[in-house]
Amino acid sequence: MLRLTRVWLLWRRPPAAGVPAKNLGLRKVASGVSPPGSASPRAVNIFDRDLKRKQKNWAARQPEPRKFDYLKEEVGSRIADRVYDIARDFPLALDLGCGRGYIAQHLNKETVGKFFQADIAENALKNTLETEIPTVSVLADEEFLPFRENTFDLVVSSLSLHWVNDLPRALEQIRYVLKPDGVFLGAMFGGDTLYELRCSLQLAETEREGGFSPHVSPFTAVNDLGHLLGRAGFNTLTVDTDEIQVNYPGMFELMEDLQGMGESNCAWNRKALLHRNTMLAAAAVYGEMYRNEDGSVPATYQIYYMIGWKYHDSQARPAERGSATVSFGELGKINSLMSQEKKSQ
Amino acid sequence: MSGNAAVWGRVRSRLRAFPERLSACGAEAAAYGRCVQASTAPGGRLRKDLCAQEFEALRSCFLAAAKKTQKGGH
Repeated sequence: MLRLTRVWLLWRRPPAAGVPAKNLGLRKVASGVSPPGSASPRAVNIFDRDLKRKQKNWAARQPEPRKFDYLKEEVGSRIADRVYDIARDFPLALDLGCGRGYIAQHLNKETVGKFFQADIAENALKNTLETEIPTVSVLADEEFLPFRENTFDLVVSSLSLHWVNDLPRALEQIRYVLKPDGVFLGAMFGGDTLYELRCSLQLAETEREGGFSPHVSPFTAVNDLGHLLGRAGFNTLTVDTDEIQVNYPGMFELMEDLQGMGESNCAWNRKALLHRNTMLAAAAVYGEMYRNEDGSVPATYQIYYMIGWKYHDSQARPAERGSATVSFGELGKINSLMSQEKKSQ
Repeated sequence: MSGNAAVWGRVRSRLRAFPERLSACGAEAAAYGRCVQASTAPGGRLRKDLCAQEFEALRSCFLAAAKKTQKGGH
């Protein structure tokens, strides 16, 4: 049986000529800022950022990029909704991992004065979507932000932090570039994303080849996300989750769309080849295990939305210990207590 | 993209035909899927070639569909 090189989720690109192998994954960027503290002691290198940049560049240069944008557009519009929910205007905002600028197109000049759009793929920045806000495009990696401390009122990030190697450091950098009382609004893929695809590939590979290797990248758990945000120094943080289910005709169409979105696998531990037999088996298993009534197969995208604020004196703080005037035991009488307070005022 | 554009184009066009051929083999695919799914039930153990028979049926159906579409002309 002939082995064909697969290009869906598992694709190895040779390094660019002239780049010594040991420099792969390191980014030489003249950063104007030296963030407090170096890389966290347990810094991991899971993803090949160079390859991710190439994949995103390729995805942005397709003849019909809008065909694959549906997920990012949807999440971008939801993030823009959340920006509107905050009763504030933001003179200066940053979009990290903006892609073609899915958030900016939904916002207006009154809410955001000026928008900096940062992404690692230059082709995406060249084809940004129309927006009425004045924008500046910056080629920057999410982990190495070239901005000074206390610059931005608002930082948004939609569906790009799941490819970041050192997430604690990226979040710390975001907090660093935020002004005091600035806010960070992010959306990331969560643990249940594409679980159907992951399971089908796992089962098919076990049955066909006797073992399996990871094909879907690891996602952050929701508890860890809360801890990470707290550790990065954000206040008043909230994480909520949302699920978007998209139906596809079959597994191959799903994989084609994932590649078109620029979401192909770029983990260092990916397998270079996916056998034709295994793909066929996985598609059969996917169809049988998860099929809808009308014959299509669903793919779940679990999105975590997070919001965190940079500390400022005006923000609410937990009260001092021992300053309580009412006990929790009187919670049942809260209506009478509140009307008493109103009377006394 | 990477080096050889001709190879690239051939591989991708072959892959693009997969969904169509798979849809022609719905019954075999379902049988294989059911066999694998059965092994995920408590007490089952999935090991290599557990469903080899069903997969062979699926593969031969798939290859037959490939020959048919080739004969009919791409």
